[in-house]
Amino acid sequence: MAEKKDSKTILKDLRKQIFLIGYRGGMAHLASCFSCLEILYALYAGGVLKIDTTNPAWEERDRFILSKGHAGLALYAMLVHKDLMTEVEFASYLQEGGIIGGEPCLRDSKWIEATTGSLGHGLSFAVGIAMALKLKGSSAKVYVLLGDGEIQEGTVWEAAMSAAALKLDNLVAILDCNEIQKMDFVDKTIGVPRWQEKWDAFGWQVDAVDGHNVEALQVCLSEVNEKDKPRFVIAHTIKGKGVSVMEQNPNWHFKLPKSKKEKAAFTQDLGITEAEWEV
Amino acid sequence: MQSAYIGKLMEIAEHDNKVIHLLADSGTGYDEMFRYNFPKQIHNFGISEEHMVAAAAGMATVGYVPFVYTAGAFLAYRSLEFIRDDICFQNLNVKIVGMGSGLSWSSLGPTHHTTEDVAVLRSLPNLMILSPATPRQVAACVQATYEHQGPVYIRIGMNHEKEFFPDNYTLKTASNDVLQENGDISIFVTGSILEEVQRAVEALGKEGYGVNLINVPVIKPLANGQILSMVKKSRLCFTVEEHNVLGGLGSAIAEVLTEYGIGVPLHRIGLKDTFAVGYGTHAAVRKANSLDAQSIYQQIKERL
Repeated sequence: MAEKKDSKTILKDLRKQIFLIGYRGGMAHLASCFSCLEILYALYAGGVLKIDTTNPAWEERDRFILSKGHAGLALYAMLVHKDLMTEVEFASYLQEGGIIGGEPCLRDSKWIEATTGSLGHGLSFAVGIAMALKLKGSSAKVYVLLGDGEIQEGTVWEAAMSAAALKLDNLVAILDCNEIQKMDFVDKTIGVPRWQEKWDAFGWQVDAVDGHNVEALQVCLSEVNEKDKPRFVIAHTIKGKGVSVMEQNPNWHFKLPKSKKEKAAFTQDLGITEAEWEV
Repeated sequence: MQSAYIGKLMEIAEHDNKVIHLLADSGTGYDEMFRYNFPKQIHNFGISEEHMVAAAAGMATVGYVPFVYTAGAFLAYRSLEFIRDDICFQNLNVKIVGMGSGLSWSSLGPTHHTTEDVAVLRSLPNLMILSPATPRQVAACVQATYEHQGPVYIRIGMNHEKEFFPDNYTLKTASNDVLQENGDISIFVTGSILEEVQRAVEALGKEGYGVNLINVPVIKPLANGQILSMVKKSRLCFTVEEHNVLGGLGSAIAEVLTEYGIGVPLHRIGLKDTFAVGYGTHAAVRKANSLDAQSIYQQIKERL
């Protein structure tokens, strides 16, 4: 039996896998994947999400929706880690005849709960699921991961009002708060966002957590919502976490390493071997 | 038409508690009647159509059958991407009900007119499109919508449309309703404007013209076979719709005729790639846009 790896080693391996699959595919939102990886890890590997790994259609399962669909590779990497997707399927990313692309689709895997990609859809979709679960009398929860660029979309705020009015205490929205969007820093784009105050004013229970601390995420995300309130968890993250040249650098939103210097950083930080660069 | 819609929906909701009536602050007394009877099967999301559409898609993944109901314009245009990504692409069992088809909201102007909805929505894969003309056809469309597993858009008029169909009318998706078969001119019509076309056809009949009148309640998928056989028997064809002539029923039939190489002229009567002009009653705005019985009669007559 293989030696049990610690979560830090696993997460470094996952980052490496995400990078290699993305690099071989020719394009990827690596920085967004790396910023939310610990959140996904806490959900899937940290036991936060109640799922039956033998039955994707289990009615009482918790649902997870990756509303910031461009981090799809990170979600697929987690599905592989949980043996819910094969490595062959994962490696088919952007390959001829492959089954997965840049954004998660229902048709790609039974473990995907919603097709995302266009920003600002996932929270509304999650509100509908949470409503329906309550109508059914189910105790399952709905988790949705939003980006802090994404929530500039107006529909998110329609959903924010609606979820509070519906008293959806089975709904947890997690903000991957990496403070960077495609072109620039979030505060340079829309001013100081004050998410805490905004979501509080919209009637949500608001909490904050270190978005790269798996143990803290597990504890935080497992908490029961305050009665009658949807919960908004601000996970403070670093965009491009794990690779020095990418971290907190807006240039890396949709970019792969090209220069020697950039490749050297990936080699050093993720342990990419010479042979792996060649493939 | 609203009464027919709600009446049928209540009939269905009584037998299936998974049927949910969703509103975006778009309800009237009819919807309150639904609420009175089925308080757990109705929800008003407030003025947030896109959110309602996406939430409906989420509900469908848990096994519910949401009917989202508001002005067609706010669904087809404002919520288009949500209909596309959340409902059609994922092929979820959500029913999209656009109230106030064509120029129904006459006095409120083009922001409320639903005169490009078919053009916009017809291009969405997986979406069935229904366009009933009378209250009984509305009820039949709602029943067919419920029985169809997958996304459906129904556009419904709202101005006391006349009835042309029998009490036991049911929707046939493989054929259209031939209301009159009487010659070598075929007129295809969809939606509430049927009543205007009926009067135009009566006027033509009095002058001795033999006209076939075919009502097309199912715009997608179109009953190609029957349309082709009617056209082949005709020397001239017309389509009439309370919609832009681009992209609607006329375009859909033109596509079929072209593909099958049918060389019969087809004249499309509708809004001629314009937004409607004028305000007032539905009848007045139809008239101002050459879509009243007299104008339709004239447009047909000119081609004969």
